[in-house]
Amino acid sequence: MSEPLLVLDNVTKNYGAIEALKGISFSIGKGEVVALLGDNGAGKSTLVKIIAGGLEPTSGRMLFEGKEFLARSPAEAKAAGIETVYQDLSLCTNVDVVANFFMGREITRKVLGIPVLDERAMETVVEKALASAGTRIPSLRTNVEHLSGGQRQAIELNRFVHWGGKLVLLDEPFAALGVEQTRRGLDMIRQVASQGIGVVIITHIMQQAFQVADRIVVIRQGVVAGDVARHKTSPDAVINMITGETLAGAGPAG
Amino acid sequence: MNPRTRHALEFVLDNLVWFMLLFVLVVFSIFIPNYFQLGIFANIIEASSVLGVMSIGLALVIIAGHMDLSVESVAALSAMAVGILFCSSGIGMGVQLHPEWLMVPVSLLLALAVGGLIGAFNGFLVVKVKMSAFIITLASYIWVRGLVLVISGGRSAQDLAPAIRWFGIQRLIGLPLTAWIAIACFVVFSLIMAKTPFGRHLVMIGGNETATFRAGIRVNRNLVIAFVLAGAIAGLAGWLLAIRTSGATANLGVGLLFNAFAAVVIGGVSLKGGVGTLPGVYAGVLLLSAINTAINLMGLPANFTQVIHGLLVLAAVLLDAFKQTIRLRLA
Repeated sequence: MSEPLLVLDNVTKNYGAIEALKGISFSIGKGEVVALLGDNGAGKSTLVKIIAGGLEPTSGRMLFEGKEFLARSPAEAKAAGIETVYQDLSLCTNVDVVANFFMGREITRKVLGIPVLDERAMETVVEKALASAGTRIPSLRTNVEHLSGGQRQAIELNRFVHWGGKLVLLDEPFAALGVEQTRRGLDMIRQVASQGIGVVIITHIMQQAFQVADRIVVIRQGVVAGDVARHKTSPDAVINMITGETLAGAGPAG
Repeated sequence: MNPRTRHALEFVLDNLVWFMLLFVLVVFSIFIPNYFQLGIFANIIEASSVLGVMSIGLALVIIAGHMDLSVESVAALSAMAVGILFCSSGIGMGVQLHPEWLMVPVSLLLALAVGGLIGAFNGFLVVKVKMSAFIITLASYIWVRGLVLVISGGRSAQDLAPAIRWFGIQRLIGLPLTAWIAIACFVVFSLIMAKTPFGRHLVMIGGNETATFRAGIRVNRNLVIAFVLAGAIAGLAGWLLAIRTSGATANLGVGLLFNAFAAVVIGGVSLKGGVGTLPGVYAGVLLLSAINTAINLMGLPANFTQVIHGLLVLAAVLLDAFKQTIRLRLA
């Protein structure tokens, strides 16, 4: 494995008396694609939210690029270089494609010292980004509410490819995509990783995990039940880890 | 459908309320004797200045996906504060400043500060305590009006200092300065909403608050600012109201809230948040004012106004639903 980008050391999260995460430890290298698998309620989404700044861990620590890291808000995580694509779409359907692409990062120019949106500059960037990804959207000025589910997801995926950062978290990103678009999405992930960006992808679909991931991390009941390189395991073995029949190849469990 | 007709149709839909205003003005001008005069049109704009300013604040908060029912009471409190300090009879203390013009900025700042403070209080409770804006601002609507009654003892202040009154008397191109202040407010806030990141963020927060939070936009900060602005703008409305009535009474501005609501809804702002523009709201305000003027000119009992306003709000909501279906076809 290459140099670790993010290291999680015994991260826990309690909701009252319920222990959602009982101590998660694993790491992600630069340019590595890690598939995070696990049954419903295993704690995958909780983990992603902790890394992305949506939730604070109860205990444990994280190292990002070798430095102590804790994001108290999504803004902090973004500033550190962590991009997240959530399972439920994070688009504002009441504004247009350009506004969504630049949400929170608008290009402005100063007019009398007041920041004013530079719509033309933003439109050019979006046009380029979407064209290079082969996504076709009739007009960048249509409100997102008029676009199809696939087009919406394409915007989100292109958004993370464009902004890149250092680490990308994808929480079931292909839920609304067709076969061809999913294939393109998986290509995008490999392309992003080849630029040295770490990728964590949560998925339920074993086939996708094996298609795209370098390493597979299985979470079961709030602990890491398995942490194996893709070429050293098989879908059957991973399913067993998810359901808990074996702990073969288990990583540092809590 | 070719892109040209589609653009034209979208333009009409986006500015529907302006076309309605134009239509109403034309119809009234044709059928009501004496309606078609510059003086009447000036009067329509003049009469809508207080309501217009108040509607801006209300619209900001509604576009951001929340609600501010307290604007009417806040305006009354600001007006009363200005009235008590700078009126010379009734409960007015007749405070004099030298030079006299100093009373203008002082009274204006006082009104803005009173409004801004209550707005900050509302915003803090909505954002930090996570209570429903509807309930919090309903409470403010009641207690702030109560405060007006308490500090005035139910009595009124009259004879506002002439230096401040000047804004209501001095005319520029046929309109009093108070009307120009309202127009300037619309221009400034329309630009803020359409052209700055802050405005863009408010619209997006109204559309999908979770998404904006995840995108790293400081949602809470933006919302508090929106509430403070709504309060301060309501304070400004109160200042204009005090000038207009040359003082303040305990029940000043009662009923304005519902007119502001009507204007905002007619202007195309969705109560669900995220949809609407301020120029539309101004058209809504002018539309209400144009209809009021027509009712006056026709000599109908003023009581009809309320019936017509109510029906107009209904029509606006129906129209909004109709616009949605047309837009879906267009997409």
